[in-house]
Amino acid sequence: MKLIFCKAIAFIRRDFQIESSYKMNFVMTAVDSVMIVIFFYFLNRLVAPAGTHYMSRYGGDYLSFAVIGVAFARYFQLTLRMFSDSIRAAQVSGCLEAMLSSQTDSFSIVLMSSLYGLISGAVQPLLILVFATVVMGVDLSHANILSASLVLVFSVLTFVAFGVLSAATILWLKKGDPLAWVLGGMGALLGGAYFPVEVLPDWLQKISFLIPITYSLDALRLTLINGYPLEKVAGQTATLGLITAIALPASLIFFAAMVRKGRFEGTLTQY
Amino acid sequence: MLISPPLSVQNVSSVPSVISVRGVTMRFPIAKRYRELVLAPFRPRKVFTALKSVDLEIEKGDRIAVLGPNGAGKTTFLKLVGGLLLPSEGEILVNSHNTLHHNASARKSVGFVMNEERSFFWRLTGRQNLEFFAALDNLSDDSLKERSQELIRFVGLEAHIDTPVSTYSSGIKQRLAIARGLIAEPEVLILDEPTRTLDPVACEELIDLIIERLHKTSRKTILIATHRLEEAMKLCNKALIINQGRAVAFDRISDLTEQGITLADYYRRHVSPS
Repeated sequence: MKLIFCKAIAFIRRDFQIESSYKMNFVMTAVDSVMIVIFFYFLNRLVAPAGTHYMSRYGGDYLSFAVIGVAFARYFQLTLRMFSDSIRAAQVSGCLEAMLSSQTDSFSIVLMSSLYGLISGAVQPLLILVFATVVMGVDLSHANILSASLVLVFSVLTFVAFGVLSAATILWLKKGDPLAWVLGGMGALLGGAYFPVEVLPDWLQKISFLIPITYSLDALRLTLINGYPLEKVAGQTATLGLITAIALPASLIFFAAMVRKGRFEGTLTQY
Repeated sequence: MLISPPLSVQNVSSVPSVISVRGVTMRFPIAKRYRELVLAPFRPRKVFTALKSVDLEIEKGDRIAVLGPNGAGKTTFLKLVGGLLLPSEGEILVNSHNTLHHNASARKSVGFVMNEERSFFWRLTGRQNLEFFAALDNLSDDSLKERSQELIRFVGLEAHIDTPVSTYSSGIKQRLAIARGLIAEPEVLILDEPTRTLDPVACEELIDLIIERLHKTSRKTILIATHRLEEAMKLCNKALIINQGRAVAFDRISDLTEQGITLADYYRRHVSPS
């Protein structure tokens, strides 16, 4: 256990050391976060009067709806891409083979390579929410932080499961990951990141309920805006838990199979 | 006739084998082109056979020069022994651990020094790289720092270790790669063309490092792929020649010398088209 912890710290330290050598990156993340909030602030002034009835479930304010949607949708997309991105970066940098020849198994390498990204990626939603509440007047005073945190944990686990699946797909196909596109791109469109799914036609709404981000964003908004306790978002949380329970073992098995296939075919380090 | 027959080596010594290669064949599938995908979607992929039915036993303490032309299968052979690749047929035992079934255990005995210059994190210093890879090799806390420092001294990198790898010359990177290969104190060290990108002086220094510090002090089993025959003469006690995916010869260099055969003649005899 201590060894696993030390390895996890080594990966986080390595990525922090690399990231901190790119001085402008954090500044640009902060600027990007501010720009997002400003964009939706003005969009809110345009759409608010017409769309209020769609927002009634979330307190009627489009800005708070959009800010939470965008902040967390970005984070979930990052979680989804993190594993395949870390594999590809290691392949391109030439370090993957060196890591695979070490005494750490390939799954731990991929999982731990993504730790720093998951931690540092959480900075942006936090910046967006802080700027939106402090400067733009978004009201999150009723937020149930404990419930929201639990929903976030369940959501991240779900996206980790699909992220590992996505990484396995990258090992297999090298480029062009359909899973990231379906769950990431389509998820943002159909999962209610920018507008409520109720706006969509019925048949698209049915599809949106097959996408995990729909449940995550709905539960996060209800806990952060309306201050719902966990029992009032139990349905969404249980759905996320069920998806994770199925997807995580499946993705681990698929990933292990792709690593073994790569070792047999000599394609692990090809990109 | 001294030159051993293809595919096997005369192992008459009582020294135990540290590496057993038994009937190993390695085939790489070739990706289908669009035309093939459309016209014959269910036809199995074509394969490129990189190694064919290789059998050999490597004894503890052996220093093997793996020789052969470009594309002969040297790197594939080394990666198979290092557990980075799994054979399509046959099996490889490293310290009695089968790389197919007990890959992690087999890899514990092997340190791999890659010829890939880019196998380090360039924005990190040499020390940061070494400590990161030490953590991957199950070292932690003080032992991690002590071992890293010990290796830094061992390969003579004290003057460069706290500057970013991006500023290193090829020679310095190779030293760092050797240090990384030695982190877990492996019984077997694999060096894939370590002097390929080095100038003559750096090359000489690296050979001295391997002879003086690796061989004389540790008696590790070393497999070293190289195109430089003088390097093979200096570093190794046995020569393995791989040509067109086959292990065509494997002999003691001292036996060759006794019979008045130079390594160059030996190489030419097995590699040149007859």
